[in-house]
Parts: sequence; structure tokens; C-alpha cells
Amino acid sequence: MAMDAGEKATLVDALSAIVGARHVLSSDYDVMLYEYDASIDRARPDVVVFPASTAQVSAIVKLANQRQVPFVARGAGTGLSGGAVPLEGGIIIAFQRMNRILDIDYTNLRAVVQPGVVNLHLSNAMTPNGFYYVPDPSSQKSCTIGGNVGENSGGPHTLIYGVTTNHVLGLEVVLPDGKIVEVGSPTLDTPGYDLTGLLVGSEGTLGIVTSITVRIVHQAEAVKTLVGVFNTVDDATNTVSGIVEAGIIPAALEMMDQIILQAVEDYIHAGYPLDAAAVLLIEVEGLRDTVDEQVSRVVAVCEANHARAVRIAKDEQERTLLWSGRKEAFGAVGRVSHEFYVQDGVVPRTKLPFVLDRVNEICASYGLRVGNVFHAGDGNLHPLILFDSQIPGQVEKVRQAGFDILKVCADAGGSITGEHGVGMEKSDAMPLIFSDDDLDVMRRVREAFNPHNLCNPGKVIPTPGRCADIKLLIGQERSPAYAKAEAEGAWH
Amino acid sequence: MTNLSLLTDQLHAAAPQTELLTSVGDLRRFAVDDVTPQLVALPASVEDVAALLKLAGEQQLAVLPVGGSTELTLGQPPERYDLAICTARLNALLEHEAADLTCSVQAGMTLADLQQRLATKGQFLALDPPNNEQATIGGILAANASGPQRLRYGAARDLVIGLRVVLGDGTIARSGGKVVKNVAGYDLNKLYIGSLGTLGIIVEANFKLIPRPEHEETLLIAFENASAAMETVIALLSSVVTPTALELLDPAAQQSLPEQARAMLPGPAYLLATSFSSVAKAVTRQLADSRAIATSHAGSPRGNLEGTAHDTFWAAVRARQIGPVVCKVSLLINDVAPFLAEAQTICQEQQLESSAIAHAGSGVIYLQLGPADALDRLAAAIGKLRNLALQDKGSLVITHAPTALKAQINVWGEARPDLRLMGTLKRKFDPADTLVKGRFVGGL
Repeated sequence: MAMDAGEKATLVDALSAIVGARHVLSSDYDVMLYEYDASIDRARPDVVVFPASTAQVSAIVKLANQRQVPFVARGAGTGLSGGAVPLEGGIIIAFQRMNRILDIDYTNLRAVVQPGVVNLHLSNAMTPNGFYYVPDPSSQKSCTIGGNVGENSGGPHTLIYGVTTNHVLGLEVVLPDGKIVEVGSPTLDTPGYDLTGLLVGSEGTLGIVTSITVRIVHQAEAVKTLVGVFNTVDDATNTVSGIVEAGIIPAALEMMDQIILQAVEDYIHAGYPLDAAAVLLIEVEGLRDTVDEQVSRVVAVCEANHARAVRIAKDEQERTLLWSGRKEAFGAVGRVSHEFYVQDGVVPRTKLPFVLDRVNEICASYGLRVGNVFHAGDGNLHPLILFDSQIPGQVEKVRQAGFDILKVCADAGGSITGEHGVGMEKSDAMPLIFSDDDLDVMRRVREAFNPHNLCNPGKVIPTPGRCADIKLLIGQERSPAYAKAEAEGAWH
Repeated sequence: MTNLSLLTDQLHAAAPQTELLTSVGDLRRFAVDDVTPQLVALPASVEDVAALLKLAGEQQLAVLPVGGSTELTLGQPPERYDLAICTARLNALLEHEAADLTCSVQAGMTLADLQQRLATKGQFLALDPPNNEQATIGGILAANASGPQRLRYGAARDLVIGLRVVLGDGTIARSGGKVVKNVAGYDLNKLYIGSLGTLGIIVEANFKLIPRPEHEETLLIAFENASAAMETVIALLSSVVTPTALELLDPAAQQSLPEQARAMLPGPAYLLATSFSSVAKAVTRQLADSRAIATSHAGSPRGNLEGTAHDTFWAAVRARQIGPVVCKVSLLINDVAPFLAEAQTICQEQQLESSAIAHAGSGVIYLQLGPADALDRLAAAIGKLRNLALQDKGSLVITHAPTALKAQINVWGEARPDLRLMGTLKRKFDPADTLVKGRFVGGL
């Protein structure tokens, strides 16, 4: 798989001819920074290239095809499933330079962005006009919209308004053979198959997005955030079901358990109780006239489920603080345990109490500590399994516990990933929810777009017989890129 | 076909529970663009559907999936059409997990039937295409049918969380799942929705549901012209109100409205119907905001509809999406008013009658044209209108037309460069071309 020095030198020359020598990295020291994303997998690219235009991306992909070199698109490297990790080496196409907002059309409620635009930058650009872009992954301060399209990212506020796919209308794509094609459009119901919908969440395996047309929406008039404090996890999860059953769909409905609360409070000092078994962070939004009424209904459900206390954020400052506790939770846990492993299973909301109990039992049976911080309203779990790779055998236990958790989610009628993507690490778990025939259909789709499998090989669909090559490299020394992503809150 | 009885025997052997229709009258009911199938099969199970498709592949029969037959006018005439596989007997509600706000339903259930069942637990599926008494879930999804409420709730692609499909080659496959958030594997749901039965037969669908709102109410506002109405639409969407539907009706389209609504609309005017669904207090506030915004854009609020009057009104609006000749035009919202003005001029030039409704907040216009037998003039006018839409990054699809008109102008328009990919996908899903060809975009 590795490229010899001569091959690499000619590749670098050819890429330099396309983008300029300044925009190609190839020394071991430089490319090492690109062997990670925010998952536990790593693999080193041979070359990293920074195109500035769609035409350059197309030329790079055509070159890769001529030389039969694999290529992988990369946004900010904040992904949690190895989507941007070049499993078979080759070229990383990094989108830092394609980071312009091309158009914001407030009249028609559309924006057009290049893939390297940071998620939050788009919303920030519209704040003065009262508009925003809905999907808000916790890494939104650093993750890119191109990466969000690749992974079909979610976020706390997608409960009511949907995830990335519900907000993307059209794409310009460089196909795996280098041809440039537009799919979808700024208008609705483009005749033909919905290729936009197929490409969103295809984890960079069906093509490389070079321009994205999204919906934008007006901000709500009023937002209220509250925290319900519970003495048992069951009371908290029953509250989640109770809220949904009462016909209330909050803008966000998040849960954190005790391990997470203690880590967060130590780091952020948001005023979360240290002795509670769980808290719910709930946000309702809408009209000024009715938000208070919604809040009282939510409070009533919390109290009916034995909430010890319910605290309503009194101002924007307190609201921001509570949210930073939630959004920085992964970073906070990183301070408690040097290493942790996050899963992303989804279950029907009503199964949350049962499944959380099972998650805790599974981890206890392997002698592992686990903290839970997740999108409770969607039933989207994020158990963080804490571990120490210096202890012999612990990495293997973590893997096994993670797999057991996904199996519980699948058995409960759920899914193995709600928003992080399948990537490398979860492709082995795909058979838990899909039959051989189901997976074969996905393979047909990949063959239709990516017949030579040079475009992000080894992701999404399990490759029989290759699993042994995919090593989990947990516990190796953290790379500078990893540390940087962590410091910037790139964690979900 | 000479060996029809042999074929009937084979179909019975392959799928014993399947009911077969062969009488001339039955076959005629399943005709598409004057092409009548040789046989109609009504399978009783998903496995039967797969067996029928496999046999059809072996016998090189061209198969068309049929639900409630409400969208069969959509598409070019089929190249060949031998066997209709009708999903009418696959009509069970498999699960309704009310506490999870999800359901799983077989494709042959009608939308009205499903809504009635969901209503017993205070919920609904937020899809409102016309003809809900006849239209089946599978047909609605295959045709990507929608209605005025898509403004608030989205279309099928936003509400489907999982599908079970029998591909052209008989493979039974699932995509998505039963949970509201799921990124495991390719999102094939999107691919099947709107594929008009060219990739497979949808046999089951899982949806996310919505609690029925406490109150629904519609404000009718009259405007002298479409541009003032559309300015109001744009202003509403740039405010804090969240309308469920914003429907624009030109004067001609108002003729078929119920008497109560028409009584509120003296004289020729454009009508903007703004509908809200929420708790009563929120509806009241939003209606007040809407009145103020409309008045500042030279609109004249005429009255409110609620309860039965509200439901009857919206049923009549949805019915305007259907007719002898209907074009569905998708535009950016700022292009809607100029397009409507231009359409009127073009129709006058060609001496055609026209009437238009628009899901104004979504930029989707349904333009009815007549008389249906003025083929040359219709084709000329639609050609011009399509060019206008394309110039504005939009599209024009003829959703209803006599077969003879389809010979003069393609209902989808010229295919775009991504057709190559679509063709490759079609071959992967239906390698033997078992599913009827010729109806969809680019002859797929």
C-alpha cells in the first residue's frame, strides 16, 4: 500500500503543478498531522493537498485516478468515526482554502457556501439579520459544513428542525472519476432521483462536495432554557418520554449523568449539581407569548417524575453557560480520563431507561467506568467509556463493551449511529441492523459512483476479510492536531 | 400474449396467495397513458412481491407498481407495460409507537386510513397531498406527492425514517430504520422517494409523526396583484411567525372554493391563505402578526376559517393540484410573482385558459391549463414557461396531461447532466429492466 519515494516525488510534482508547491504537504512531519480525526483510528496519508477551486479538486481527483492512488476529503478533522482518516494512505484533499460563504439570500432563504466554511461562521454571518443555519453539532466552532454534509451531522437543536440532510438542497460535486456535476438546486423537488439526499451522509465515499446550497431560517422570538435535576437516571429518562408524550417537542432535550456532571462542573463551573444522578438540559423556543406556558408544562412533567429541582436560566449569560457545559462535555471528560471512547447508538425514546441500565451493566461487567451525555429527545446515546490503555487488555475490553452497547441498541429497535457516522470503526457493527441483502444494495450504490473504490476506501460498508488489517490505535501518543482539536472544543 | 394462461399458472405457483385480475374491465382500470397491462397481480405479502418480480424478470415482463392510481398520469408513456403489481392488499398498520412518535405501515394503506388510525392517539403524519382517500402511502412516496403543509413540516424526504423495498431484481432490502435520527449506511430512503417505481416497489414505510395541534386557523387575505401577496409571504417568512401553509390563489383558481370562503372574497383579487397550527394562544398571536404584515403590504384581511370550514377549504385548495393539464413549477419565492404575470401573458397569447395556486412559501406553483385538446398551443406555452423556470434555476414538470400532449412535449423536460449517474443507479437496482421503462426522467 505504501508509496515508494520515487512514486511519491512524481505525485507531489504533479499536485504542485495543479495547486502550487506551497499548497502541497509531503514530509513525514507535515502529513503526520493529518493521520487523525477525532475518532480513535489513524492512518497516515502520503500527501496532503489544499485546493482553492472546484477545478483544482477535479484535476486532483483525475490525477489520483490516473495513478490509482486513493483520496480522502477532509474538513476540520473533527469527525468521530474516522471519516477523514486515509485508511489506505494516498492523498488527503483538505478544504481550509475553500472557506468562503458565496451567497446569503435572505429573500429566498438560501445560502451557498464552500465546503471549508466553519459551521458557526455561517450562522454568525447572519446573526445581525436575525437568521441562522439550523444544524449545530457541538463541534460547530471548528467543524466545516462540507464535513457536516459528509457525515449528515446533527446537534442538540436538530430535535425539532432536523439534521443536515433536511437543510441541504443542492450540491456541486466532484465525482470519484473527477467529473464535476451539480445535483439538486436551490428550488424544491428537482426532477430525477434525489442524489443530494443520497450524497448527504455518504461519508465521502460517493464524491467530494465543492459547493453547498442550504436553507436558512429566521431566529425564534424567544428562547428559554431550563435544567431539571434528578436523583435517579430513571426519573430523568421517564421525564424525556413524558415530555414527548405530552405533545411537547422542545428545541433541545439533553441529558448528562453524574460522571459527566462532575467533569463538566470542575471545568466550566456552570452551577450543575455534583450529587445529582442526572440532569436534563431542556430548551423551548417560539413566541414570547407562549414560551412561558411551554416552560410550565415541561416543569410539571419534571416534577411529576420527582425532579429534585428545576432551574430556569434567568438570562442569556446563564443560558450560554449551561450550554457550554453541555457542548464542552467531551473536553471536560478528557480532563478526568486521559482516554475515552464514545459510542453513538440510537434507540426509541421509550427504551431509554432500559437501554441506559444495560449500558451501565455492560461497562460494569468489564470493570469500566462510563459517563452518559446525550441527545435524549432523539434517543441518541453518547456513552463515554473511560479507560487507560496502559492497563493490559483494557483496550480490547473497551472495544467489546462498545460493540455490546451497539448490540443492545440494535436489539431495542434502534441504530448503531445517530450522527457520528459509520466510518471505519462501526462498519463491523452494520450487520447488527442490516441484512446481507441490505448491505449489498449499499455496495451497488458505491459501485455506481465509485467503481474503483479510490474515493475514501474502507468506510461505511463492511469489507469481508479485511477487518484484521484495521487496527485500533488507541493509547498511542496524541498528535499535535489531536491536541489542537481538543483545545478548540472540536469534540462533540 | 399467446400463453397468458401459462403465465397465470406460473404466477400462481410462484406466489400462491396472489390474486390475479385478467378481465378487460379490470385491466382497463390499470391502463397508463392508453397502455393496458396483460395482467394485474395483487400480492398478499412482501415475499409474494419478490416472487412476482423474480418471475417477471425471467419472463421479461415489464412491471409497473400501482397503489391507488392517483399519480399514474405523472410521467411519459411507458415503453412496455405487461404486469401491474398493485399493493392494495398490503394495507396493514404494522406498528404505531405513539410514545415514540413513530409508525410503520404497509405501502398499500391509504393516507386517509392511516391518518384515522393515528388520530386515535392524537397524532398525524404531516403529509397532505390531494386525494388522500385513494392515494396509498407507497404511491405518495414513489411520486413524492406533497401538499400545502410542506412549508412547515417538509415533504416525504423529511418524514420517512425507514423503508422496505423490493428491488427490480426481487431483492428485499431495508434502508434507514425505526428511530428518528440515524446515519447508519447510505440514506437510500431519499433515493426511493420520488423514483416513480423505477428502482423498486416500496412495500413498507416508517415515519416520524407529529402530535395533533390544539388549534388550527386560516386567515384569508385579498391582494390586488400577486406581487403584493408575495411581498407579504416574504415578510412573513422573515418574521417570527411559523405558518403551516401559505397558499396563493389567483382569481380563476378561487372558483372552486367552498361558498363560505368565496363569500369573503368580493371581486377579482389574489387570495393568500395563511394557516397556523399550535396552541390557541400562539395561533391568535400569529394571526394578528399576519394581519399587520399583510395590511402594511396593501393586503386586505377578509376573515378567518376554523373547524370544518377550515378543513373543507384546504381540501378544495389541494384539489387544485389535480386537473386535465397541470404543470408543477418550482421556483425561488422571489420569482413566483413575476412568473405568474408572465404565465398569464403567455396563456393569453396562446388563447389558453389558466388558473394557478402556489405553495407560496415553498415556491411551488400548480398551473392548470386548458382546453386540454389544444395540443399545439399547450405545448408552445408550456415550452416557454419551462424556459422561464429554467432561467430562474427552477423546474417545470407536467404532472397531468393527455397522452397526446406527452408526444409533443416531454413532461420532465430535458434531463440534466446528472442523468448519467441516475442511469447507472437504475441498472444496479433493476439490471434486467423489469420495472417499466420510459416514464421517468431521461427515459428511465
